[in-house]
Amino acid sequence: MVWLMRPADRLTVQQERDLVIAAEAGGPDARRDLVEAFLPSIAGLAHRFPHGSGVERQELIQEGVAGLLFAAQRYDSALNTPFWAYASFWVRKAMQELVEEMSRPVAFSDRAARGLAQIRTARGEHLQAHSTEPTTGDLGRATGFTLQQVESLQAIERTPRGMEERLSAEGETTATVGDTIIDPVAQEEYERVLDEMEIGEVRDFAAQLGDRERTVIRAHYGLGQPPQTLSEIGRGLGLTAERARQIELGALSKLRESLAQPAPAGDARI
Amino acid sequence: MTSDGTALRHNAFVYETQDEYVARSVAFLREGLEAGEGAIVANTRPGLAVMREALGAEAAHVTFVDDSAAYTRPARTLAAYHKVYAEQLAKTPSLRAVADVQCGPDPDEWDLWIGYEAVFNRSFAHLPAWVLCSYNANGLPDPVVEGVWRTHPEVVDEDGWTTSDHYEDPDRPLRATTAEPVPLPELRPVAFGRDVEEFREQLARELVAEKVPEAKMLDMLLAATEIATNALEHGGGVGEVRVGRAEGRFVCEIVDRGSGFDDPGAGYLAPRKGAGTGLWVARQLTWRIDFFRSPQGFTARSWL
Repeated sequence: MVWLMRPADRLTVQQERDLVIAAEAGGPDARRDLVEAFLPSIAGLAHRFPHGSGVERQELIQEGVAGLLFAAQRYDSALNTPFWAYASFWVRKAMQELVEEMSRPVAFSDRAARGLAQIRTARGEHLQAHSTEPTTGDLGRATGFTLQQVESLQAIERTPRGMEERLSAEGETTATVGDTIIDPVAQEEYERVLDEMEIGEVRDFAAQLGDRERTVIRAHYGLGQPPQTLSEIGRGLGLTAERARQIELGALSKLRESLAQPAPAGDARI
Repeated sequence: MTSDGTALRHNAFVYETQDEYVARSVAFLREGLEAGEGAIVANTRPGLAVMREALGAEAAHVTFVDDSAAYTRPARTLAAYHKVYAEQLAKTPSLRAVADVQCGPDPDEWDLWIGYEAVFNRSFAHLPAWVLCSYNANGLPDPVVEGVWRTHPEVVDEDGWTTSDHYEDPDRPLRATTAEPVPLPELRPVAFGRDVEEFREQLARELVAEKVPEAKMLDMLLAATEIATNALEHGGGVGEVRVGRAEGRFVCEIVDRGSGFDDPGAGYLAPRKGAGTGLWVARQLTWRIDFFRSPQGFTARSWL
């Protein structure tokens, strides 16, 4: 959609609303489009942080993008506030928190410093071998640390376990987008920022289903493909229609239960 | 157990300096750890880093949660905390948690989050948890400060613990966040079909026609299944279904023939024995669900 390539300040109110809603829905294309539309504004905010704050401008922008995507998850278009007026609060907050975090003096013990070095090496090797971020488990297996040790060491550096999926960033750049903000070639720099960042889907609810369950659900309801009847689906899987229905009901039940597990209530303490 | 018979203690803690936040939070959690309770700290990354350092060796026994991305919609925030509490309660008989509340800039959404705090009291009433919601007083808007006192039975600040004279029945702040539904003439009627399966098939066709992203289609199919099932089992059957786009979002209205209910907390109560979870599931999967009576019957209007 050509209009999405225009700067955010040229989007109509409705276009902006639709873009935010599409991004909130989690599609990676929509999220990327949203980031692209507001990257100049994010870079502008990053530009206002003083040099020497201990944080690279690229890092500020990446953190700002996380703030923007969070704002998109929360923004209610029924409110009277324009999106950027709302989102800039979260973008600025994310940047401020990064600066705060990075400027804290951290005293590493020798042991912690060696541990961190091992984790960094393991991460680099995993990225090279698999082109994906290692999980805590991967790092534990590679270093011999327990999961708790890996988490504790990582916490000294950056991100603790999150309640929801966050934007991840990889790659390095020497370009400072904020410095080129008034440069006509800034669009090219923005493309580099976008290319170097992973803007994935927020959540894949169906990921917890088995292959066959996912096949049945997607085929029956036309998710990403033309819909089929349960008879057609069953024939394709070598099953009866009724068996396909049972698989579907089991899948829906599994998804439902994943959202509705009660907590152990136990005995209350006085 | 609290004096009103609930297992939950839900209090607020208003701090002015980071030192105050750390001192009180650490003391609160340490007391619990010594008594064999679980400990959870929810904050943004800088706050968590400060708490890790302050807790020292005890940090190994604390669960740290980055809540900066959790405060999106009240139902999802409740679900996210419920997951963390459930994981902890599988290991310890009770827990203590300090959770820093992420208040946004827009006055129009403050009521929404005040309503969240109110319904928290009902949502987790059955859980053996002592939760301190922490608020940074610096720059905290007055309506939010008032909301703190309306939604937490006790509040602690630099002067100590105070029972709140302004604490309200949770339903009251929650009702204040429930907007009056407006007619949506842009929605169109669709057939329900013979059963919930046929309804899902029809709904899926409508979702495809409205170009709803695939990932969200399943969310609405599941949410609408829950609401349709409720309508069939408790609402005397489905009278009408209307779908379409309104305010940029896909909307599905299911009207049943029953008398409905008047509970602003419907769908916000965390799962527990003996209680239905259909609306809890539906709320997590949708942007908003409005329940109201109309001339056609009792309506559940789900926004995606």
